[in-house]
Order: sequence, then C-alpha cells, then structure tokens
Amino acid sequence: MASIEKRKIIISPVTRIEGHARITIQLDETGAVDEALFHVNEFRGFEKFCEGRMYTEMPTITPRICGICPISHSIASVKACEMIQGIKPAYTGNLLRRLIQLGQNISSHALSFFHLSSPDFLLGYDSDPASRNIIGIANQFPDIALRGIRLRKFGQEISERITGKKIHIMGIAPGGMAMPLTAENRKALLDWIPEAKETVRIGLEIIKKFHRENEAMVKSFATSPTLYLGMIGENGEQELYDGNLRFIDTDGTILQDQLDPKRYLEFIAERSVNWSYLKYPYYKPFGFDKGFYRVGPLARLNVASKMKTPEAQEEFLLFKAIGNGKPVHGTFYFHYARLIEALCSVEEAEMLLNNPAITSTDIQTHGRWNYNEGIGCAEAPRGTLFHHYITDDTGKLKNVNLLIATGQNNPSMNRSITEVAKQYIHDGTKVSEGMLNRVESTIRCYDPCLSCSTHAIGQMPMEIDIIDKDGKLVDHVIR
Amino acid sequence: MTTITIHINEKEYQVAPGKTILEVCRENDIEILTMCHLKGIMDVGACRLCLVEIEGVNRLLSACTTKVGANMIIRTDTERIKRYQRITTELFFAERNHVCSVCVANGKCELQQLGYKVGLDHIRYPFLYPQCEVDSSHPWYVMDHNRCIMCTRCVRVCNEVEGAHNWDVMNRGYQVRVISDFNTPWGESITCTSCGKCLHACPTGAIWPKAIVQGQLNKKPEIIEELMEKRAMKL
Repeated sequence: MASIEKRKIIISPVTRIEGHARITIQLDETGAVDEALFHVNEFRGFEKFCEGRMYTEMPTITPRICGICPISHSIASVKACEMIQGIKPAYTGNLLRRLIQLGQNISSHALSFFHLSSPDFLLGYDSDPASRNIIGIANQFPDIALRGIRLRKFGQEISERITGKKIHIMGIAPGGMAMPLTAENRKALLDWIPEAKETVRIGLEIIKKFHRENEAMVKSFATSPTLYLGMIGENGEQELYDGNLRFIDTDGTILQDQLDPKRYLEFIAERSVNWSYLKYPYYKPFGFDKGFYRVGPLARLNVASKMKTPEAQEEFLLFKAIGNGKPVHGTFYFHYARLIEALCSVEEAEMLLNNPAITSTDIQTHGRWNYNEGIGCAEAPRGTLFHHYITDDTGKLKNVNLLIATGQNNPSMNRSITEVAKQYIHDGTKVSEGMLNRVESTIRCYDPCLSCSTHAIGQMPMEIDIIDKDGKLVDHVIR
Repeated sequence: MTTITIHINEKEYQVAPGKTILEVCRENDIEILTMCHLKGIMDVGACRLCLVEIEGVNRLLSACTTKVGANMIIRTDTERIKRYQRITTELFFAERNHVCSVCVANGKCELQQLGYKVGLDHIRYPFLYPQCEVDSSHPWYVMDHNRCIMCTRCVRVCNEVEGAHNWDVMNRGYQVRVISDFNTPWGESITCTSCGKCLHACPTGAIWPKAIVQGQLNKKPEIIEELMEKRAMKL
C-alpha cells in the first residue's frame, strides 16, 4: 500500500450548485480528515470594473453578476441610488418592487429545493449519481418535478408580467418602477397562487418526511453554532425587502436590533484568504475567530420573531420548536427554512396582488445626483446583500463594495464541510461516492450562488483526486 | 419636371436629378443600411454602411453622398456589399467597448439593430478594449466614449442645427475622439447650450440623460428633420 502520509481528496466541480467551486479534503497521516476547504475558483471583478461608470448604471450592471438573484442586486442597487439622490420610491413602485422580489425568492427557492436538492431526499444520497438530478426526479416523480418547475416559472412569471422579461429585467429604477402592472396581468398572477401554495406544501411534506425518517442524520448534520444576521420588519417579523437588521448570538440573544443597514461597516469586517476568491466576512465586535455568522433562510428565521402571513406563521412555530427557543443551528434545516420562506412569499405575493393600489400608475419619483455615498440592502434568497457606492461630484463611481450573501456564509460553509467530512470519511483510502455526495450536499444546504453564469444540475462529472503530500497523484476517480 | 432614368437592382426608375442614391432608394422602399446618415443634417459618408455598386466604377461608393446620374446602373444587394456591411458592423463593435446587456440604450440602439440586421452572431476581429473616459461633467447628460462609433451626428447637429459647435473631432484612426470645445470636459464647455439635440441625434448609448436607467431612454432622432423643416417654413 502506498504511504498515506498527508493526502488530499479534491471534489471538483461541486455539482448541483449555482456556480463553480471545488472542495479539497486534506487527510492527515492516519487517513482521517484533517481539514476541508471550499474554493471558489472563478473571479469576476465587478467591484473594480464598475469604477468610472455612472451610479445610475449600477441597477443594470450588477444584476449581471448572477442569473438566479438578479433582482436582489437591482433592488439593493436602486436603494443605494435613491440614497445618492436623496429620494423615496413611489408607493406603487415600491409595492411592485417588493412583489418582483418575492417572485424571485419563490423562483430561487423552488430551484434550490426541487431542482438541486430534492434528488437527495427523493432518490437517496447513495443512489446512482447519473440520475440523481432533476431528470431522475422527472422519471420517477413526474408530478413533483413538474410542480417544482412550474413553481419556479411562477416566480419568474411575476417579473415577466410586470416588466416583460423573466431574467435580467429592465424597469427597476431609482424612485420606483419604470412600468406598471396591468389589471389583466394581475389577474393572471392571482389565478396561479393556489397552485403555487399547494406545491410549496408538497415540498414541506417531502422535507418533513425526510426529517422524520432520517432524524439522527438531520440532527447531527453540521450543527456547529454560529451567529446569525437577517433583516426584520418593525415588529421583528421576517422581512426580505425593506427593513432593519438583527444580529443574534449562538444562544439567540439579540446582539444588535433594528440596525440601520447603512451602518453595516460598523459591524461587519472582511478578510481575504489565499485559497479562495471569496472573502471571509465576520461580525466585527467578536473578531475573526469568534465572529462567524450566517445569513440566508435559516438565519432569517432564526432572527425573526414571527412571520407575516398565517400559514407560514404556523410552520414557523414548528420550526422554532426544533430549537426549543434557541436558534436552530443544524445546517440541514436550511431546506426547511427555505420552504417556509417560499410559503410566506407566495402568501405575501397574494396579499400584494389583492391590494388595489398595485395597478396604480404612481410608480416612480424622480431625482438627480445629490450625495456622494449610497448604501442599499436587501435580502437575497441566499442572505443579506449590501451595495455600497461612493461617487465623485458628477455621479461617477469612485468606489464600489458589494457584500454578497454567499460571501457571508463562506466561513460557515467551510466549517460545515469539515464537520461533515470528519463525520462520514474515516479512512481516506475508502471513500465512497455517497460519502462525497454528503460533503457536497452540505454546500447545497447553503444554496450558494457563486456569481453564476452556469447552472450545474448534476450532469458534470465529479472528479476526485487523491494526492500525497508531495503532490503525486495516488488515485483518480471520475463519478 | 425633368427626370433621368436609372436602374437599381435591375429595375428602372425615373427620378429627379440632384438627388442622392440614398434618397432615391428610401423613396422607393429599397433598403440601404445607414448609421451616420440623419435626416436634417449634411451627409458625410463616414460609416461606409450605405456602399453601393455602380456599373463602370471600380470601387464602392456611399449612397448618401453620391448623386444619381443619367443611366446609372446601381446595385445595392450584392454579396460583396453584404460582406462589406458585415465587416463594417463587426469593426464598430470591435473598436470600442460595446456591452449591450448593460447599456442604457439596450433595445433602443441603432447599432444593436444594425447587428441584428446583418446577422451578427460573432465578431472575427480582435477587440481593441481602449481605455475610454466617461465624461459626466455635464449636469444633465453623460458622454460615454466607450459607446461612440464616430458617426459624428452629434458634431453635425450641434453645428448645423443648434449652431453652437460644441462638439468636434480630434486625432485620427482608432485614436479619433469626439471632443467638447478644445477637448475640455463637457460641463466646462463655453459653447454648449445644453439643448440636448446631440442626445437625440446619437444612435447609440454614447450620449444619454443622467437620471435614467436602462429601459427609459427615449431618443427622438426624427425631431432634427422636423426642426429643420419648421425653420425652412418660417424663412
């Protein structure tokens, strides 16, 4: 047998996530897991090449970072623009933006759960990777696959019915919206609500059944406690579009409440690491080592005191019961939280569509450059998103800082994969595909969006290289 | 009225002398691609998109600056012309930094429409990626040299219609640039009247109003001709 010494297992590319990434599992001399590293090996450089552009172009440029959550970028961006102009959005324009963002949240959560993650729950972690994807679901559970696809379509349909485009929409402008919602389109969206609600309920049943049948795994899956950050409304309710921020600690004690997002730099700092293009943000008052925090659906539900809508509130109480009053740290519960949010988003979309003001043409206020600095914040499907612009005295950007949700989850993702790798891989010479899938699925819990232009759905091969400490290839496996 | 006989694409036409080939073609619904041509201002034949073949002439001539002559035999639709139009369009895109997806003029851009018309699906020439400044010094408008194709419609409209002559051209070849006054920031121009005609004349997203975003651009190049007609009626 070849000397084991220190070896590496590399999972590349990580599949069924949005973007490109690689995992390296570093083994120690005994073949046990020493450390796992999550690398994001694509470089985009948006912050740099946006310098010199006009601030009003940012709501158009920044959504191009991503095809899954472009609307969150647009919204964070227009909020920053509105701060630069010193204006408030028009009432209906604001409602429409909120509705479009809910649509994106529904669409993105449907993609994450039904297209990317449900194959693990419905087909099994150890099933054949060739069919462990949405196509496999379509073959074995055609009704669920179709419903998942249609739920995603519904979310995008909201954008299309308002702006004419599903992805990378035009029309989200400083001061509100550039186009209104017609009565005909409003009716078409309302007609779709019952089906969307039913699909989310089915998703909830799938995940709850999986929880019941795999209780030990779910409860022990990457459960290290972290801090949480999320947006809340005036009364502590879960909020995606317009609110203040709340930080809680590992026990659920509120560290910061109703924090104005404009003050984010007082509480969040970033550090670069040499193995990934993603930076490592942390909660500044606790320092780099103790300041790990998470964002996204799990974090939003952990920080929230309640949900806005009745059915989601019922599920929220069940979710809170898992933690018994404390934050739910289990990474696996991201999926459950995501579906509760999807339910809330469908219900809230229905409320907005039933508001008579939604078809008003009072959609945009107008302004011009007035201030040098703008900060915008919104809850993207994957977590809190910040856009921060500094302009010169003509409105040209001098500095751009984009703090992306996945970036904020990066330290925790890294820690979670280390935990799961240690739990499932005990001997580096005997690594099954199913074990590696579990490590990958830890990443999928976070539903990271790695500035994606490509969406892997399990069709790409996963390559595993086992390399000794001198860099010599000991074994090579292609899934 | 005296007329002359010409042939375009093997069809005979009786036309008034003194007209340009482009005018005759437009009157008779014969499609000719243009970019630097704008009704109401003088033609300069800069873009080379309206090239036509004329029997007995070795080189291609621009339809906007060539007047019809008796018994002229003109062709506007040969493979050679189409090839040249495609090359010209590709060079427009390769010369500066055109990114339609994030451009304020996306969906309302004459260059983008031209790309669709010639079937532009890729560009065979290396992109130059020049470092171009965005001039945001004007209080209401922005001049983005990244998106300028040097059609000089803004230069001519400013000179011939507004009479201000704020815009002009400096340098040659790929270093050519539209400049304000003697290459001063637009906001510091002593000749600009801020009338906005250059904005309406610009076929791309090179000149646009500051406070709008993609989807809100509403350029009206046709107002230049209307203005000139109204002035002629008053005279």
